[in-house]
Amino acid sequence: MAIVKMKKVGLIALQSEKESVVKRLQKFGGLHIINLEEQICDIKFKDLLVDGEIDKLNQLEAELSQVKYAYDFITKYDKEKKKMFEQKLQVSEKEYNENLNEKQKRDDIYEQCRSIDAKFSELRNAETKISNLIQQLIPWKSMNAELENLKNTRNANIVLGYLLTKYVEEFKDAVYHSDAEVHIEEISRDKENTFIFLIYHKSEDDKISTIQKQFGWSKVTFSDLTGTPAENISKLNSDIDQLGNVKVELAAQAEKLVEHKDFVKVSYDILSNERDKSAVVRSFAKTEKSFMLYGWVPEKQTAALTSAMEEITDKFWIQYEDPDKDEEFPVLLDNPMIVKPLEMITEQYSLPNSRALDPNLIMAPFFVMFFGMMVSDAGYGIVLAISTAIALLVLKPQGGMGKMLGLLCLGGISTFIWGAMFGGWFGVNLRPLWFNPLDNPLKMLIFVLILGVIQLYVGIGLQAYKNIRVGKYLDALFDQGFWYIFLTGLMMMALPQFAVIGKFMAIGGAVGLIATQGRSEKGIIKKLINGVLSLYNVTGFLGDVLSYSRLFALGLATGVIGTVVNAMSSMLGGSFFGNILMVFFMIFGHTFNIAINVLGAYVHSSRLQYVEFFGKFFEGDGKPFVPFRTLSKYTK
Amino acid sequence: MNIVDLMNSNGLYLAFLGSAIAAGLAGIGSAIGVGIVGQAAAGVVTEDPEKFGRTLLLQALPGTQGIYGLLIAFLIWTKIGVFGEAVEVSMQQGLMFLMVGIPIGLVGFISAIYQGKAAAAGCSIIAKRPEELAKGMVYAAMVETYAVLALLASFLMLNGIRL
Repeated sequence: MAIVKMKKVGLIALQSEKESVVKRLQKFGGLHIINLEEQICDIKFKDLLVDGEIDKLNQLEAELSQVKYAYDFITKYDKEKKKMFEQKLQVSEKEYNENLNEKQKRDDIYEQCRSIDAKFSELRNAETKISNLIQQLIPWKSMNAELENLKNTRNANIVLGYLLTKYVEEFKDAVYHSDAEVHIEEISRDKENTFIFLIYHKSEDDKISTIQKQFGWSKVTFSDLTGTPAENISKLNSDIDQLGNVKVELAAQAEKLVEHKDFVKVSYDILSNERDKSAVVRSFAKTEKSFMLYGWVPEKQTAALTSAMEEITDKFWIQYEDPDKDEEFPVLLDNPMIVKPLEMITEQYSLPNSRALDPNLIMAPFFVMFFGMMVSDAGYGIVLAISTAIALLVLKPQGGMGKMLGLLCLGGISTFIWGAMFGGWFGVNLRPLWFNPLDNPLKMLIFVLILGVIQLYVGIGLQAYKNIRVGKYLDALFDQGFWYIFLTGLMMMALPQFAVIGKFMAIGGAVGLIATQGRSEKGIIKKLINGVLSLYNVTGFLGDVLSYSRLFALGLATGVIGTVVNAMSSMLGGSFFGNILMVFFMIFGHTFNIAINVLGAYVHSSRLQYVEFFGKFFEGDGKPFVPFRTLSKYTK
Repeated sequence: MNIVDLMNSNGLYLAFLGSAIAAGLAGIGSAIGVGIVGQAAAGVVTEDPEKFGRTLLLQALPGTQGIYGLLIAFLIWTKIGVFGEAVEVSMQQGLMFLMVGIPIGLVGFISAIYQGKAAAAGCSIIAKRPEELAKGMVYAAMVETYAVLALLASFLMLNGIRL
């Protein structure tokens, strides 16, 4: 319905005015630019070259990544709490240019961040090194000997080492039995190892090292250390403390950089803007003196685009064309405010094809109604609608978040209406406006299945509309019209007063389907077989309709769980504390029930659209319309 | 109390058994399903903690079977008067209550596990293409359809029992 009609734009202007043209186009913000790079290799554009300065672009990219680094670094030390919806900074044209020219300041900030970061990692390395050394020294702490003295003498070898505790006794035995002259001293044990000090005569070296190998001895040396292990440990600990002080100092330096936060944010936006402008030029084609671009613009904005160009120059050529018959164009959806949130549902499935239908307007009432029926508690509906409406008004979120809240708000209103119809108020059954599904489940079941049939018929109707729109009247009659007759006939057969007429309709529809559904096949037999087989699709239709029974089941779940919450919390009531507990439990229980059912309603309502409804007519895979415009994260 | 009285009132035990099957089996299934998704979700969150919210949505999906089970159990209890005045339930009626618990108990049990697996696979969609979350949810919701149908079956059966 509402896929915006696009015109293809061709624009040629002078190289000398390119900068101002690009700037104006960005401000215009409604032009989807086509990359001409591939076409330039073609015959059609063989005298043209790809425009743009790759060096400038690369430099901007590099600067941008520096600014990003600086921003990430600074935010780590920013003590101010991050808000969910940050206020954007106001930047005037003058400030924009000033900021752009402050490359020196940007570089300085980046360098400072880098050097602090480098020092931090140096510190961390030093710290790990020291604490590793401490870990090595700890087992020897009780040894009251200077480490520098533990060197081999003329005749004796002095060795430190450790082995697994379970081998210690065997090791000692082996050493004693080898008749070597050895002094063994156990210094300490930890969970696994025993640390041992050995002195033996040099001549015994071979014997001892064989035994050491046998039991998995690991040698320990402290080559550069002087003093006892205990002295070393306390010295190293104080070293770590000192490093800690340095760290605090560095952190203070880093925190000082936080004052540049706003500058960095503005820089980020400005540079990415410049980058975008520089990047978009890569999509243009150029000659020596001029450049050319192609793009898509919404039909309604063509005049605005021309006058935007006229504002800055009179030396340009512009042309608008309709897209070719089979040409895909980028898809922009245009729907009334109230349907806008529903676009999210469709987009998450797929954007409609540029030649297809935008289902949002027709889907909207179904989605919202189904959502409400699945949550179906008037109290929950009020809570949901009011809380999301407040969030929408206060926070004014943009983009996906805004659409989501809008969707939940619509769903909340619908929930309120259906809840009142069925008489559910916070799990309490009050007098329903219509009827209570718990008392009359069959009525409810039939009601939701009828809703399903209606939506499916609408889906089939949309497919027929699509056929008629392109002049395939017979296809519309054969593929959709006969199905309408056949299915309606079948359903009428279930009602006694229409049974006869229903029977004739069903037979007529079936004959029509058998005769036409195999028409793309060759040979009468194949045509017939395919025609008969097509009737089998009726099971698919039946499955689709039954799928709508979830509307009843999920609505039932909300109501009964709400009742369970009320019943259980009222058991707590009575005493003073009991009453307080009861209130807490009720709030918690109902909140939980709202959350789980809203999630369920969202997912299942989406599913009904995607699988049952879209399956009938939808064509996806549209390419989104991405206009060239100013994008900003932190500024406006 | 003679043997006939005993036969007549024994239905209560069977009704309780039915509600235990409904709430118990479906609850076990949901616990397993939610657990499976939780493991996959934790893996995604180690890479990118900001995806916690999105994975939580997926993790909640296989939790509904347990709720459906409890729902049927609760409706059985209301009907046999656990919360109010006790109702006399005959052996035959008790057997009916027992059978009421079976669809949602069994289907809930198994569908929750498979829904958990589908949702766990959805977590890897979130890991690589977070914008496609909705598709992962729909895959999981496809499995839930059958739990919803079983809930409906149990409910309609229960509704048909006259005391």
